[in-house]
Amino acid sequence: MFTAAAESFLKQAREIQEEELRRFASRVAALLQGPELGPEAADCLQRLHLAVAATKYPRKLDGKFVELLQTVLCSSKCPEQIQVLCAAILRDMSPCNDLSLSCDEIQDTKLLSLVSSVLLVQGNKKAEVSAVGQRIVKVLERRLPEGQSAQYLLPVLSNVITISPESLTEEQTNVVSKKMADWLRYASIQQGVAQPSGGFFSSPRTRQPGPVTEVDGAIATDFFTVLSVGQYYTQDQWLNVQAFSMLRNWLLCYGGKGLKTPNSADKSGMDRSVMSMVSTTSTSSRLLPPKERLREKAFEYCQRLIEQSNRRPLKKDDGDLQKACLIEAVTIMDIICKQDSSYVYRAVSFLKVLHGRICADATYARALLPIAQFFLNHSKMAAVDSNAIYKHLFTDIPAQLFHNPSLAFEFVQFCKDNSQLFTETSSIFRQSFPNLFKFLAWNSPPLISEFVDLLPFLLDAGTAIEIFHLLLDLPCLTAALDIQLRSAALPTSERAASDPGVQPATCLEAFRHPLYKSVFQYLLRTKSAPEDAPERLIPLRQLLGSLASSPRVMQCAETVPVLLELFFRVVAEFADGQLINQLVVLLLQRSDQLYEIPAFKDDVYRVLSSQLVMLCKLHPALIVELSKEILEFSGTVSNIQNKEAIFTHVVWAIGEYMSVSYDKRCTVEQINRFFETLEAMLFEITQLRPLASTPSYAPRAISVLMATLTKLAARSQDLIPRVSMFLSKMRTFVQSPAVTSVYCEEDLEEILIRATELMNLLKMPSVAQFVFTPPVDVACTRFQREVNDSLPFALRIVTRLLEPAPGFMPT
Amino acid sequence: MVRAFLLLAPGGAEPPGPAPPGHAPCRLLYTRVFGTPPGTPPVPGDPPRQRLRRKEQLLVVARQVASQCRLLQSSSGRPSSPQLPQLPDEPISLQDAPGGLFQLPPGDPFPERVTVAWLSVFALAFALVCDPQENLSLAEITLRRLAPRLLVSLRLLGPGADVLLRPDTADVLLDRLLPHGQMLFLNERFLQAVDREVGGKASR
Repeated sequence: MFTAAAESFLKQAREIQEEELRRFASRVAALLQGPELGPEAADCLQRLHLAVAATKYPRKLDGKFVELLQTVLCSSKCPEQIQVLCAAILRDMSPCNDLSLSCDEIQDTKLLSLVSSVLLVQGNKKAEVSAVGQRIVKVLERRLPEGQSAQYLLPVLSNVITISPESLTEEQTNVVSKKMADWLRYASIQQGVAQPSGGFFSSPRTRQPGPVTEVDGAIATDFFTVLSVGQYYTQDQWLNVQAFSMLRNWLLCYGGKGLKTPNSADKSGMDRSVMSMVSTTSTSSRLLPPKERLREKAFEYCQRLIEQSNRRPLKKDDGDLQKACLIEAVTIMDIICKQDSSYVYRAVSFLKVLHGRICADATYARALLPIAQFFLNHSKMAAVDSNAIYKHLFTDIPAQLFHNPSLAFEFVQFCKDNSQLFTETSSIFRQSFPNLFKFLAWNSPPLISEFVDLLPFLLDAGTAIEIFHLLLDLPCLTAALDIQLRSAALPTSERAASDPGVQPATCLEAFRHPLYKSVFQYLLRTKSAPEDAPERLIPLRQLLGSLASSPRVMQCAETVPVLLELFFRVVAEFADGQLINQLVVLLLQRSDQLYEIPAFKDDVYRVLSSQLVMLCKLHPALIVELSKEILEFSGTVSNIQNKEAIFTHVVWAIGEYMSVSYDKRCTVEQINRFFETLEAMLFEITQLRPLASTPSYAPRAISVLMATLTKLAARSQDLIPRVSMFLSKMRTFVQSPAVTSVYCEEDLEEILIRATELMNLLKMPSVAQFVFTPPVDVACTRFQREVNDSLPFALRIVTRLLEPAPGFMPT
Repeated sequence: MVRAFLLLAPGGAEPPGPAPPGHAPCRLLYTRVFGTPPGTPPVPGDPPRQRLRRKEQLLVVARQVASQCRLLQSSSGRPSSPQLPQLPDEPISLQDAPGGLFQLPPGDPFPERVTVAWLSVFALAFALVCDPQENLSLAEITLRRLAPRLLVSLRLLGPGADVLLRPDTADVLLDRLLPHGQMLFLNERFLQAVDREVGGKASR
């Protein structure tokens, strides 16, 4: 718990001044140089550590003091706690130019490990990493003196090769590989002996240790592994655990041809020209070179682990370890097969059996991912059909286990790592995208950035429409998943199907209700279903309204605008005119059919309206081609209130693109038709009503209607008198008391100015025509900006010309 | 490999009370870095800047953990961590402790992408910063082992500031369970052996 006391400590530590720190450091130095290093020295070092570590800004400690810390650290007479504290201080100050620490002379393995921990955080400017690596291998090569153990060194080595695999020569890696193979395969299978405690009550006789057992208590009959259990452990058994723990890292670095860094793609095994069908047997493995021998032992170890994971553990937590071991074993087998394809045949049959064993067990679901990865990498070579594995993975797992956040994360990573699979239209991977979105719907915060990476691979002309609907319904999906879970948790007695004649009272009842069941199933489908009509979801959306304020649903709703923007950005790259038209029609339709979460709807409208502009830019002819739908949308008064953003942008688009320059098929009749519709709308919203009932509309909507009407009139000049008359009435509108009480003063002023400017422009029809219908390339610069951005500038110039201020125009 | 271990107080909303709800800042209580992050160029430049960058990178991770923790708790409808006083002998059950995995993209804040595994216990959080291809099941197991041991040995549930003043205690535990960032496949009996060793040391 971070308490007030701790908070004040931290504050104090941060505020220590340099002078005070220096004095304290000299006090500590005096203590450290004293004869005995007791609790007071430890206490002071602890405080010094806090003073250094508490701030991210530099704390200068004298070079001599640093040297003293190093000396104390390396001194064998020093108590361990002091050494650890010195190392902690040196580490926190790193990188440190004053450091002259070296591991070359250190014999004690524990101390070597501690000193290495300081050296490895120096940033490798002076090749410290390589020096550490060299030293470790040198120590490992020789027989260690009594009381020293190599177990402290292996983790250091693992760290070294992760930071800088070039630190070791091939000869050195061979030395270590040889030892690792021995540690993995030949650790003792007898339990260790308790260290005699030497206390008063301890018995001088040591009991005979028995053999190690498996996790289920059976006596072990094969070699020792991390899943072997004993009361006490021997040194070589510790080394067995350490060696396996770093095995994957080691194989990735040095198991393939030549040097590989852990993060580079490992394709080395694939370029063997001759594929050996006969795998080497254990008896001849002593003759193998170290790398190949380690591979053989590692493979056997993995096989043994997989078998051991079949046992039911006596301690529940060992079950978790079994699963982690299983995942590691399969991953290592995959790596081995990549490095030497002769192992593929042995591995394939083994892993198929394993898959059969665990595929029905939900607790093993995470292990299915490395198995699937293995088959993706190697099934072609082994001429094995693994479609059943992929089908099970993509169809069943997300549907059943979407609520497991770790599985969800790893599954999505798996998809990202194999993103090329999704590009094949007919593949099971591509078809399962509705299932994948369940992970996101349930676990939105950690997975949204992963889906931003994944979505482009799922999108193409065939899936775009379905994914568009899916994104808009993502929060509904969350709600439906919630109900599915709750329904599954009900005792069977309560799960009877409801009476079809009676409307369900709750969402939970609706889940089993005949009227709604199939709609739920559609929403929760596991495969793409492009033919199905999303309108089916309308009643369901209303029903799910009660869950709209649940935190999980709202978190999901927040991800939708981001994904929508990405969706359109990707679609813009490949969409043809037909798809764009489809999307615009759907956009307008769906604006009525959204889940009732107010903030969600506003955000979606905002994104959809700006994307509508983008689509018009790509395919300006859509205004003409979709004139019916657009007329209908822009002629519905309620849209001005409910979907102001979309309405405004639609009207703007009409003004912009309803023109012969964009589509030769644009006729005068069409322009007139649009004009009449919009005129009626403007009339409706600027009608003067009795005081009490004047509704307010967005001033922006009024402005854009006026501007669009003017633009249309400029193209069909018979309409000019009508518009001018209308615009002249705006003064009355703006000044009426009913209106001034509902709109704010600045907005009304703006409306009036705009109306006046537009009227003035219409007095010079040819200028108006130019301003409002420029050649297409000039128009390109005006996109993606606020609706009436560039217009005001042009209008003001014209206005000044028409109504010059005194002294402006030459007389 | 694990690149770093963090112990933090996520902060967040103050417990309900007469004072208006504010946000306590996220505080890093203990960090341990193993080696330099992958992709960091060995710049012969300014050591203080490198140190500053390291500290800021860890703070970015801590804030992300705090945010994920808050979001998970709110979505699962759990109340924010109860400040229950725990009996010292009562075994701390981590079965339902919230936790998760998330990824940080390259450049933000480390040069290469990393995966973070985190676990939240009462008002604290523990996190491991791992390489992308790490065994995440083992990372979660490691966290579930580190957390209760640190809670006990640093008396994290008490009013004191041991976590700030006893980095050696944390270091010793990490040296056993996560030496140099190497996660270990330790079964329960091995773990008992480790506990015996650490316990023996502490009593000296």
